[in-house]
Amino acid sequence: MSDIEPIIGRYVNITVDGRVYRIFYEEAGAGIPLFCLHTAGADSRQFRHMLNDPDLTARYRVVAFDLPWHGRSTPPQQWWEDKYLLTADHYMAITKAVWESIGLQRPIVAGCSMGGAIVLRAAFDHQDEIRGILGLETTAAGHGRYNDFLHHPAVHGGELCATYTYGLNAPSSPEAGKRENWWYYAQSGPGVYRGDIHFYCNDWDAWEELGRIDTTKCKVALLSGEYDYSATPQMTEDVHKAIPGSYFKLMHGMGHFPMIENYPDFRPYLMDALAHIGD
Amino acid sequence: MSENFELDWLDEFRDKANSDRELAVIGEWFSTTFSVNFGPQRIAFKVANGRIEEIIRDPRFDVRAIFGFSAPLTVWRKFFAPTPPPLYHDFFAMIMRIPEFVLEGDGLVAMQNARALHRTMSLMRDAGAGNV
Repeated sequence: MSDIEPIIGRYVNITVDGRVYRIFYEEAGAGIPLFCLHTAGADSRQFRHMLNDPDLTARYRVVAFDLPWHGRSTPPQQWWEDKYLLTADHYMAITKAVWESIGLQRPIVAGCSMGGAIVLRAAFDHQDEIRGILGLETTAAGHGRYNDFLHHPAVHGGELCATYTYGLNAPSSPEAGKRENWWYYAQSGPGVYRGDIHFYCNDWDAWEELGRIDTTKCKVALLSGEYDYSATPQMTEDVHKAIPGSYFKLMHGMGHFPMIENYPDFRPYLMDALAHIGD
Repeated sequence: MSENFELDWLDEFRDKANSDRELAVIGEWFSTTFSVNFGPQRIAFKVANGRIEEIIRDPRFDVRAIFGFSAPLTVWRKFFAPTPPPLYHDFFAMIMRIPEFVLEGDGLVAMQNARALHRTMSLMRDAGAGNV
C-alpha cells in the first residue's frame, strides 16, 4: 500500500532586477492561497506538516517556496561573484514575484522569523493585493544574531548554524521536530544563514512604517513562542501594539519554529489566527 | 540557599557524557579543556575525542582552559531548573540575552566544536537539573 503525500513540488522562473531565478515551490490543497515563507538559512520543508494537514488544505491552497540560494532554488546567474547578503528590498521583490508568477490571488502571506518580519512589509507596501498576513516570531527590527563565525573558514557552517538555532526551540518540544529542523539548517549553503541574518539584524527596521498598515484592508495576526529568544514575545507584542486592530497570541511552551518543532501544539494557534484573518 | 552548588552530580554528568551515543558519533574531534565558573567555583573539564577524561574541581592556575562559561549562581540555578525559564534554557540563549553569562577564552574553538559542546552542555544540564 502506497503512502504518497499530497504535496506537489514544482519550479518557476522569475525575473527580479534583471536577473533570472529558478524557484522551487511546493503546494497542497485548494481554496484561499496561504503563501508560506521559511526562516533564515532554511527552506520550505519547514512547512511540511501544514502542507499535509487535510483540515488546512481542505480550505486553503498552502504554498511554500524556497528563496534563491535556499533549498532547491538555485542562486542567480554568476552567483559565485556575489557575496550573499539579503536586503529587505530584494526579499520583498522576490516574494511578490513568486506569488504573482504562480497566480496566487490575494494570498494570505505567512512567514516565520525573517519571514515573519518581511510579511510586515507585505502589509504596509502591498495591503491592497493581499488578504492579510500571518507573522510567526515577528519583529520590526532584529539585533544580536549576526557574527563572523556563521561563515568562517575554520568552522563548519552547517553544524554551527544548525546548533546555533537549535536552542531557539522550546525545551519541551518533541526532539524529532527539533532535530529535523537542525538537519534542514545543516544543509544550508555556505554563508546563506549569515546572509539572511544580514537582512534580519542589519537591514531590517520597519518601526517607522507600521503605522501605514490598515487592518481593515489587510488583516494582521501575530503569534510568538514563549521560548523564542531571538524574536522574543515582548518584541512581537510590541509590533502588535503598534498596529491597531492586529491579533496577537503568546504560544506557551513553544519556540521560534512552531510549524516544524511542534506542529500538534502549534495547530490550534494557527487555526485561530487564520480564523481572525478570515476570507 | 547556599553560596556554592552541590556538585555531586558531576560524576553522573561524566557517566552520561561518556556513554552518550550521540557524542560517540560526533565527538571524534572534540578534544580540549574547557572551564565552567559556577559563581566562585571553577571547574575544568578535560575532554578527549568527546569523552570527559577528567573533571578538575578547584583547578590550580596552571590548568589551562581554552574557553569557558562563566556566570553568577543565580543564572546557573535557572539554567539547571527542572523546567528552565525562557532565555535561560540554552547556552546560546544566555550568550545572546543574559549579560552576566559570558563565553570566555577562545570562542573560535568553542564554535568549531559547537555541536559536540552543545550536546555536552545539554547532558550537563540534564544531570544537574533539580540538583543545584
